Formats: sequence, structure tokens, C-alpha cells
Amino acid sequence: MRVNSNDPEKKEVVTRRAALLGGGFSLLLAGVGARLFQLQIADYDKYQRLAQENQFNTRIIAPLRGEIVDRFGATLASNRQNFRLLLMPDEAGDVEAALERIRRFVEIPEDKHARLIREINRTRGFAPVEIVNNLEWDDFSRINYELPHLPGAHPEVSETRNYPLGNATAFVIGYVGAVTDRDLEAPDNEDQQLLLRQPGFKVGRDGLERTYEKELRGVAGAMDVKVNAHGRVIEEIDDSTRPPVQGETLGLTIDADLQLAAMKALEGESASAVVIDIETGDVLVLASTPAFDPNIFTKGIPTDLWRELNESPYKPLLNKPLGGIYPPGSTFKMVSAIAGMRAGVSPSFRVRCNGKFWYGNRFFHCWRKEGHGSVDMRSSLKLSCDTFYYTLATQLDVDLIADTARKLGLDQTFELGIPGQHSGVIPDRAWKRRFYAGTPENQTWFPGETLSVVIGQGSVSATPLQLAVMAARIASGKEIRPRIVRFRGDLELPIPNASRLDLKEEHLNLAREGMYAVVNEPGGTATRSAFDNRDWKLAGKTGTSQVYRITNEERARGLTKPEDLPWARRDHALFVCFAPYESPRYACAVVVEHGIGGARMAGPKAKEIMTAVMTKDPARLKPLSPGALAQGADSVRRG
Amino acid sequence: MASIILPGPRRGLQDQIGRLHWPLIIMLSLIAGAGVVTLYSVGGGSWSPWAGTHAFRFAVSLGVMIAMGFIAIRYWLALAYPIYFVALIALALVPFIGDVNMGARRWIDLGPMQFQPSEMMKIGIVLALARFYHGIRAEQVSHILYLAPPLVMIGAPVGLVFLQPDLGTAIMIGATGAAIMVLAGLSWRLIFLGGVAAVGGAIAAFRFGILHDYQLKRIFTFLDPDSDPLGAGYHLLQSKIGLGSGGLVGKGYMMGTQRELNFLPEMQTDFIFTIFGEEFGFVGAIGLLLLYFAVIMTGMNIALRARSHFARLAALGICVTFGLYVLINAGMVMGLAPVVGVPLPLVSYGGTVMLTIMAGFGIVMSAHLSRDPDGASF
Repeated sequence: MRVNSNDPEKKEVVTRRAALLGGGFSLLLAGVGARLFQLQIADYDKYQRLAQENQFNTRIIAPLRGEIVDRFGATLASNRQNFRLLLMPDEAGDVEAALERIRRFVEIPEDKHARLIREINRTRGFAPVEIVNNLEWDDFSRINYELPHLPGAHPEVSETRNYPLGNATAFVIGYVGAVTDRDLEAPDNEDQQLLLRQPGFKVGRDGLERTYEKELRGVAGAMDVKVNAHGRVIEEIDDSTRPPVQGETLGLTIDADLQLAAMKALEGESASAVVIDIETGDVLVLASTPAFDPNIFTKGIPTDLWRELNESPYKPLLNKPLGGIYPPGSTFKMVSAIAGMRAGVSPSFRVRCNGKFWYGNRFFHCWRKEGHGSVDMRSSLKLSCDTFYYTLATQLDVDLIADTARKLGLDQTFELGIPGQHSGVIPDRAWKRRFYAGTPENQTWFPGETLSVVIGQGSVSATPLQLAVMAARIASGKEIRPRIVRFRGDLELPIPNASRLDLKEEHLNLAREGMYAVVNEPGGTATRSAFDNRDWKLAGKTGTSQVYRITNEERARGLTKPEDLPWARRDHALFVCFAPYESPRYACAVVVEHGIGGARMAGPKAKEIMTAVMTKDPARLKPLSPGALAQGADSVRRG
Repeated sequence: MASIILPGPRRGLQDQIGRLHWPLIIMLSLIAGAGVVTLYSVGGGSWSPWAGTHAFRFAVSLGVMIAMGFIAIRYWLALAYPIYFVALIALALVPFIGDVNMGARRWIDLGPMQFQPSEMMKIGIVLALARFYHGIRAEQVSHILYLAPPLVMIGAPVGLVFLQPDLGTAIMIGATGAAIMVLAGLSWRLIFLGGVAAVGGAIAAFRFGILHDYQLKRIFTFLDPDSDPLGAGYHLLQSKIGLGSGGLVGKGYMMGTQRELNFLPEMQTDFIFTIFGEEFGFVGAIGLLLLYFAVIMTGMNIALRARSHFARLAALGICVTFGLYVLINAGMVMGLAPVVGVPLPLVSYGGTVMLTIMAGFGIVMSAHLSRDPDGASF
């Protein structure tokens, strides 16, 4: 069939339809044009703003953490340059392979490796991750040289926390550690998210670093940067920089020299020592041994070290001066003596000690089996005669003893700013009711229990800090409150106003005289702790608190000497003291765990520490004033 | 040699060149020039890797177009079915010998160049349908017997391309074929039924999971761009930011921040209109759209003045393809159409598409040169 290819009818249809199609196309194209108008003209401002936001980003500049200095400006916590290596997971591509390449230059332990992978997964690969820090300069420069072969690797110099005194200040200052999810969620940190998410940013984990986190952290600076679609910075806009503000300097009452001296005196023991300036309440020494090195903790605690510290019987993670509680033993006898006088017992009241005291249905033993003979109140302290106090106990109400103890600083915590303080226990009737709340039949206070309380045993317990405060209060007659922060930033913190104690001066004075006799009179329990310099007079009290009672069976086997017991069952050794006796300025408490005897173990260490204190006599020296560091920080720090 | 291919009495080469549709050539060159300029900017102010190649390819493609224009339309009529079948066979072979690129198998490697049979099919379908309707009478167009061949001719390549999978090209081929059927004079009743069938097919595609996940995602993103602002909707949003922030006169040549900061993928291909609009603004973008409009109007004008039915339908079909490219791409970068990967003709980087389009205009040019009555009576 032959078709007329130029059939006019076909041409007519096509022309008509083409016109329709052309019209339709024109309409659609007009629609496109209208949309273009909407985007480019009508909504221009909106998209212009979005484009700007796309282009610019704010980069956080982490502030330097505030320094912590001792009372004379010696650095206790500062910032040190830290060479570290970051990894941008999205640049690295295969993260495992990238880590493998980096491992050729620096060591990454297996557990750290696993932690890194977890962190990269958590941040979904968008945030840089710190691979290693505190690199040696040699390693750091080698990595820089090999950088072209390490995609995603970013070497960086940052600041890291440094504690020059190491373990000596571990329990005062604490340490800083990596930011956790809990930190991010804390309400205080709501506006700090960007800063906290900076790679390697650290926050205070313990001690003053933790308590004063807000003050020490400082204020983040910022800089506008031009970024590309991947968030990579391609230009820094210098004139947009808002510089960061360093955190406030924390000025402590601690004396670094004396702190080190105390650490040295306690070395090898599980012990603590506290020295307080009696006038001001300034804590000069707060020592705890053994201690950990916060410089290691700041880098991330290796698992095996953590386990070792946790499992050690010497409890190197326990802040013993604040959190260690011990039966005060005979150091409690000043409290009992003062309570006795408050109850109307005369200082001249005499007791005949023959080594044991019958009460109820059993004997209470004096520490001296042979007895002390005739003992008055003053010599009861000097000789630490238990029989005297057993007798006193029969005339005393336990609530009055407890009240006296509280007046002298026991059974309470103080506002030091260091977490982990324990209040200890001073038993009285109310305490017993609370303690046995579930079993009313056990709530009655028995007079026999008071016999344990007067010699600082039974349920009585106190922290070394409380014992030092007790010595300071006895010596001064004032309600001394310890403090450890002198100033923060430019703000000098006032010395707490110490009112007079609600105790009679003559009662306190007898306790002081007794303590003087302990050290300075023949027959005193701590005569070997007298200062070598005879011009200085120390007044003190020994204490030996029983940890384990030797059974009759053990006694029968010939086990009588405490040295024969395993370490953990030996008695604690305690000593509280103040000096100089005539015009008391420094109070001190030393507790040596399982040190067998206060006179043997704690007294000599207290003497060593107090000799250092008396020699330096820090109260005589002008402490650093808040503004001084800002002007000549370097010179002061070295001085 | 010229005597074989040139219609009518012998003419000098100079005369032939003078008879070329120069306004069309100039407009196409302007559009390609806009592509070169934009690709130079996308390349960060460099001829490589895109702008130089693009210019070179256009020069070659322009030569192809003119050469094809010199071939008399009756030869194209004769070649219509062979071209269609070669393209169809190549399409069918793609699954077996094609290269996989970005998850889709679309290319056949021919040594120095790669060849995309689906692009050849865009010309093939136009020629074959024009050839078909050239051979039947007006009243036969809507006759049931004459419906089956064009439907099969459209359905076979659409199905093959869809399986590659290349949704954008499948839609383009299908829409072009449908448009030619409408142009050929299909009755309104059948047009309506076809429309219903197309909608039904689309719904079925959704319902029975014929579409790939990423295709569904693109479509859903198009329908609700805020559903996934950092995922599939991200590029669309960035594209709108690019265009919108261009404003009336643009940020200036080579000053586009969205371009500079790499906020867009495939800037040299799918999203090149965004870059053009960002740097040259509303004025530039409308200018470019008007240029496209002018090209299509010119092409339709040539078509309607052609003397053979084949020439008319073929030229119109080419215009439809070209127009679809423009509408889909421009709509896509502005959020009016799903992101289906259709380039902006002559501006987007890409050799095969460029060659396809210029070859198509070669046929239009042939129709133009063959309008001479003394050579065009079949």
C-alpha cells in the first residue's frame, strides 16, 4: 500500500498537536522560571543566610586550665605542652588500616586500640579522635615526616595537665580525666558542649580539680573559620578571634616543702599526716601514703595499674587523712579528761592503777600490766593510764563525752573542697538508737560501753584531719576550722572567724599541760618525740588503737608481741600534737596504719614533720597574694 | 561524494554551508559555551579536568551534527529502523558485556570510548516512531492494529533501560515515545487511557517493589525534602541554597561559595545548573532557560516547515527529548522533580549525552536542509 507521505491531514494534526505541546512546554518552562524567581528573588535572604551558615563555622579555642599553687606560689598543677596525634576517621578511610599504619611509629596497646575503635564508632567518624598523647619529640617529628603516608593523621601540640609534685599532692589536687557522657549531660555543662567535645579535653576527676572544675576550666575562646562541606577548615578568619580566658588560679594553704617532708617521713608506711596553722586553720600538710601519680592518671589509667592500686592492702587510692577512719585510742583521752572535769571531777582526783579494773563481770586492762600506781588527771595523760579513765567512765555520761568530742571537731566534716571526707563516729545514746533503728532491744546504752569510749575504742572513730583539728582546738581554745583554698583568681577567701570554744579555759589548760608532760617530762609516753632543739617545746599525745584482740589460744601458743601478728592485724599508731607549747601555732596528727604503737611509730614521724614545720615556720612568712601571680607568674613560680 | 547524499541538484559546498540553519548553530554554541564557562569554574578556574574536554567534545559534536545535516532526510528515513534495532540489540547486550558503574550497568566499552546504548536509543526511538507514523494514514493512527507496534517499540527499550537500572533515562525514552504518539494524532480517548495506564503502572511500581530502594528514597525525598535533611534531602537543600543565594545577578563568576566549598555532588553534571545560577544569578539562569526555549521553538519551527511526515515527527521528537532534559534537570535542582540523574543538555559534562543531542539536532538540520521542495518529494 502506497501512503502519501505528505498527507495534508497528517500535517494538520501534527501542527495542531505540536502547538499544544509547545504551549505545554512553555507553561512548564514558565513554571521553572517562577520557581527560579521564588528561590533567587523572593527567598534570597533566607538562602543567602543559609549559604553563610554553610560557609562559616566557629572553632573553639580551649582555654588553659587555671594553675594551682601552694601558699608561696610554688606550682602544684600547671599545663605542659603535649605532642599528640589525632585521627580524622572520615579522612582515614579504613580506620583499622590507618591505626595499623600509625602503629608502625607509636605503640598502641590492645585495650587502648579497642577503646579507640569504640570512640570512633560513638562519634560516627565525624570527630577527630586522639590516638596517642605525650609523644616524645623524636616520635612526634618522625610522624610529621611520614605524614603523607598516614592519611587522616593530624599531629597537634596541645596543653596537658602537669603535677610537679606527683604523688605528694595526689589527694589534695586530684587529677583530670577524659570527658564522659555523664559530664556531657550534667546541667552545669549545658552551654559547654562544644568545649567538652574538643578532642582530648579533660575535666577534674578528683580532689580540688573536681570541686573547682568551674573556676579552673576557664572560658573557651572562639574563632570563625571557613569550612567546606566536609567540615574541613580551609581558612581561619584571624580578626574574628575571641581569645580564651585561662581558668582562675587556685592558691592553696598547703606548703609544698612541708608536704614533701611529710611524704618523706611517712614513706614506706600506709599512713597519713595533717598539719594545721592554729591561727588561721590553714592546712599546711595533707599527706597520705602510699599515693598514686596523678600525672599517669591524667593520661588515662592503664588497666593493670588500676587493678594493682585497687587490690593493694595499703589502699593507695584512699585519701586517708580525710577518708580514713581509725579508733583514736588514747589520743581521745583529752576529750575524756575535759568531759570528766565538765562533769565536776576535780583535776586532783586520784586513781590507784594496778593494771586492771573490774567492772560488770570482767576485768578491763590498762595497757601497762604492772599498773601506774597513784595517778591524777594530769599524769593520766602523761602516762596514758587506762585505769584512770575506766574509773572516770563510771562517773560520766556518754552524751557529755560525745558533746565534748564534737566541740573539739570530731564527728563532723569540714568545708575543704576535697571530696571523700568521712565524719567518723562518736557514739552516744542518740547514735545507738539510730544505729540499731531496726532492733529496739539493742538500743539501750550500757555503762560498760562508756569504758571503751573513754579510751577511744569501741565504736569511736575519727579521721586524721579531725584529730589535727582537735589538737588545734585544744591548743587555741578556739573553734578552728581547717581550710585549704586561700584564694581563687583575684578573690581572697576570708579566714574563717574562729569563736572561742564553749569549754572552760582551765579544763583545756589541763589537757595542754598533760600533753606537754607526755613529751617533755620523764615517764611521759612520747619523750623520744621531743624536739632536738630544746628551745622548742612539743606537746602531744600518743595513741594505739586495737585492730585485733589476741585470743587466749594465741597467747597460749606464745604469741604475745604485736610484731608476731600479720601486718593487717597489728594495732594502728597515732599521735596528735601542737607546737610551740608556749604560744601554739601548729597542730599535727599522724596516723600510721598497723604501726603497732603510737609512741614508737607515729610520734617520731610527727616529730620529724613538726621539726620541718618549726624550722621553716611558714606562719612567719608572707604568703602569696592573689594578684602576684598574674604580674610575674614565672618568677614567682620558680621562687 | 556530495552528489550521493545531498538532495536535489548539485550545489557548491559553500552554498550548502550557507543554507545551514545558522541561528540554531549559534544558539547551541552559546549553550555549550555556558557549559564551558561553568565547568571552568567548577574545575576551580582550570581548563582541566572538564572545561577543555567539554569544548573539544562540542566542537567534534558540532561537526557530527553538520555532517548529519548534510545527509538527506530520505536516507535517515531508510536508516530509522536499522538504527533503532542496533540500539535495541546493544541495550540487550549491556547486561552481559557492560561495565558496572556506581551500581548500574549502562556502558559498553569500545576501546578508546565508552558507549551508552541507552543514549543511542533516545535518537533511535524518535526515528523509529517517526518512520512508523510516516508509513500509515491519519485514520489508522488510533486503530487497534496500529497501536501495538509503537507500544512494543517503546516498551522494549524502556524495560531494558529500567533494568540497568536507569530510571531517569527510562522515563525520558517512554515520555518521548508517548509524545510522538500524541503528536502523530492519537485520539484523545486513547491518550486518556494511556495516561491512566501510566499512573497505574507508577502505583504498581511502588506497590510491588519494582523500584530500587535508592530510587524510592529519591522520590520520597522529593515529596518530603525535610524527611532526611542530612541524607538524600541534603543535596537538594544545598542545591536550593546555591541557587537562592545567587540572587538577582549572582555571586560573580568563580565566586560561588557552594561550589567552592564542595557542598554539591556531581557539580560538573547533574547540579551544574545550580552552579550557573549561583554565580550568574536569576538574570543568568533565566537567560539560559530562554536560550533553551529559543532552541526548542526554532526546532519546532523547522519541523513544522518540513515537507515529509517523517521529518516533521523526527524533528519534533528531538525537540521533545531536548525539552525533557531541560525541564527534568532544572526541575530536579530546584526541587520540582525527583533527583533522577538527568543532565542539563550541552552544559553538563558528559560526552555521550552531548553527542546524542548534537546528533539529534543533526537530524533536525537534515530536515531543515531537506525542506527544499525539489529534493523532498518522496
